[in-house]
Amino acid sequence: MVTMLLSRGDIIEIVGVSKSYVSEGREIKVLEDISFSVGKEFVSIIGPSGCGKSTLLRIIAGVEKPDSGKVIFHLSRKPTIGFVFQFPTLLPWMTVLDNVILPLIASGVQKSRAIEKARTTLKIVGLSEFEDFYPSELSGGMKQRVNIARALAVEPDILLMDEPFSNLDPLTAESLRGEVLDIWLSSILPIKSIIMVTHNVEEAVLMSDRVIILSPRPARVLKIVDIMVPRPRTRKMPEVQELVDKVYEYVS
Amino acid sequence: MVPFKLILELILSTLLSLGRMFTAYVLSLIIAVVTGVAMAKNKYIESILLPILDILQSIPILGFFPAVLAIFITILGPVTGGEISSIFLIVTSQVWNMIFGVYSSIKSLDPSIDQLISVYKLPLIYRLLYIYIPASRSSLAANSIISWAGGWFFLTSAEVISMGRIEYRLKGLGSFIISAFENRDTVAYTIGLLTLFTIILVSYLIIWNPFTMRYTGVKTLLGFMRIYGVIEKAFARIWSLIIEKLIMAYSVIRGKIIVIQLYFLIPLILLYLYHTKLTLMTNNLYSEITKYGVEFLWALPLTLIRVYSTVIVGLVLSILLAYISHTRFKLGVLIVMLGEILSSIPAMMWWPILLPILRGFPYGVMMFVYLQGSLWYTFFNILLFGVSSLKENILELSKIYGIRGRYYLLRVFIPSLLPSILAGGLSASGGAWNASIAAEYFQVGGFIVDMGGVGSLLYKQTLAGDILGVLLTSFLMSLVIIFINKTVWARVLKKISGYYVIE
Ligand SMILES: Nc1ncnc2c1ncn2[C@@H]1O[C@H](COP(=O)(O)OP(=O)(O)OP(=O)(O)O)[C@@H](O)[C@H]1O
Ligand SMILES: [Mg+2]
Repeated sequence: MVTMLLSRGDIIEIVGVSKSYVSEGREIKVLEDISFSVGKEFVSIIGPSGCGKSTLLRIIAGVEKPDSGKVIFHLSRKPTIGFVFQFPTLLPWMTVLDNVILPLIASGVQKSRAIEKARTTLKIVGLSEFEDFYPSELSGGMKQRVNIARALAVEPDILLMDEPFSNLDPLTAESLRGEVLDIWLSSILPIKSIIMVTHNVEEAVLMSDRVIILSPRPARVLKIVDIMVPRPRTRKMPEVQELVDKVYEYVS
Repeated sequence: MVPFKLILELILSTLLSLGRMFTAYVLSLIIAVVTGVAMAKNKYIESILLPILDILQSIPILGFFPAVLAIFITILGPVTGGEISSIFLIVTSQVWNMIFGVYSSIKSLDPSIDQLISVYKLPLIYRLLYIYIPASRSSLAANSIISWAGGWFFLTSAEVISMGRIEYRLKGLGSFIISAFENRDTVAYTIGLLTLFTIILVSYLIIWNPFTMRYTGVKTLLGFMRIYGVIEKAFARIWSLIIEKLIMAYSVIRGKIIVIQLYFLIPLILLYLYHTKLTLMTNNLYSEITKYGVEFLWALPLTLIRVYSTVIVGLVLSILLAYISHTRFKLGVLIVMLGEILSSIPAMMWWPILLPILRGFPYGVMMFVYLQGSLWYTFFNILLFGVSSLKENILELSKIYGIRGRYYLLRVFIPSLLPSILAGGLSASGGAWNASIAAEYFQVGGFIVDMGGVGSLLYKQTLAGDILGVLLTSFLMSLVIIFINKTVWARVLKKISGYYVIE
């Protein structure tokens, strides 16, 4: 227990975040008083469809403003954020390389430097040879890899992923999960925290240090489950199966 | 032997005309991108500009032309003023569908791209250069074909400008041909026409057709990809230079881009009013307006019938041609190429051909001019973009289950074309209104044909220099067009799209 607390040390603090949308004159409450903190760790957020997971992720990314509450980052500077979108969201008129360097260039990085960084992350996701390809020439799994490479190329402090593996076939999803975990564990990149939204209970248990379970809309934090199973983890491990069952109980 | 002087004159005229066309096209491009992006991304601008553009696209610009001309010429003198008004006229003949093209392609951009923009905080200049402009590329390519034709079609009207009794001629290919025709100089007339055809043909073969094929998936076009490749490379180099400079400028200013355009007309008009000390006879105004109103109502039914029968004829013709070109690929390529040339032939070039027919059958000539101003919108929309958007899997499905003939035409082919039929139909009705002014009253080689109607009314008011009349009649006409678009047309669209829901 003590070691866990020591290793964590808060990096992101989400304090009493609430959010409603007004649509057709009716107010829909989406998030209600969400509070939790994230340390130097991999956290998964799981919850029923439409409960507000993507909204929460957007608020953490600073793209959307909460109605009340706030998101605090305990870092010496403004955090750099990498975002893996639910769908690859690649610009079809740009090559793979140009897609990956776009956020870098827009934030003022020199082009040659940006290309260097992009090549590094394309190599990590195994797409070195495809940098001159256009998105339409790639398979679904390859596109998702570019999506991930783009998020990594900005050398993020915080990596946010919105159902990154849910639109892939099971085999591709499995191998990409492995790659993301490797990047995270090997600390070749200075990522401090990862927050991943998912529908997949097994995926959450296999990958993360903690699973945050949200209630149906309006989302509240229902339960936080610590996954203290040593890595590498496999589906067959009894403690993994136990935790999967436990999380399922709260989700359903 | 063709005299050397004539050749020199021809080359100079051609270059000047090309310069005008090019300037107007680039201006249209800029206006289209700025306006289209602003409309797609800002709700207020959208709610204001959308209906305004709807009207501007439908009113006969030629009707306003004398007024605009007078403004420019009074302020800037005949040379600069004439040049600017001719470019202005060409722009007004090509910019509307380009604006709508940009607007709709940005509107239909995947919403997740908006998320990308906000997560990585892409500044406006980056959004424009890397997202909005490339996203509109294919619709700009598509609309450029129509617009380029529209530009040539108006070229002669833009180079020979008559304002009441005064006439200004700008040096150019259009005025060259007209002068040759009037002077009965067969040699000059022939080489002028040949040059015009060659330029139109070449511009399609090496620029527009390959450009459209590369970016839209349209296959039924003739074009030289190799030469185009070279041109594109050169253009790409210039473009990346522009991007570099813009981004450098941006990092210096980091300001916001202000949408001005359109508004530049207002101070000009004020200046003009001041200049001519135009005073309306306020005491007579009421009776004047009543007079114009009665005249307008009298003329309206004729033009209404003509405009909408033109649209229907154009639609039927386009759908039939589309069906033919869909079933016979080679024939399709030929039909489209022919359309590109026919649609570009300037209005006045038709007269020598039509003159002999004119005496016996003025009604046919009128309908011909109407069609020329309207048909091409449905033609290109349906034959190029409709046919090429036919879904491969739907065609396969029809083949597998043996859906053929009438059933195929009505249940598969036409419904699949519907989006382009609707888009084309709306523009075509605008084009037909626009053409009414040239179609209902014409004056060629000494004799006058007056078919009545709103177009004829407008033209006569223009000839008489009756600015108040032109403005009032155009205003009333705009009201009618808005009324029809918002009631009848909107309802037809709704009904049709209710029948054919396309996944
Ligand atoms: N911009 C918006 N305007 C209005 N309502 C919105 C907006 N964005 C989201 N919502 C609503 O907020 C709720 C939560 O949306 P959100 O996308 O966060 O759900 P989610 O948990 O990510 O769902 P899923 O699992 O299906 O991805 C939904 O009911 C949605 O309709
Ligand atoms: Mg979601």
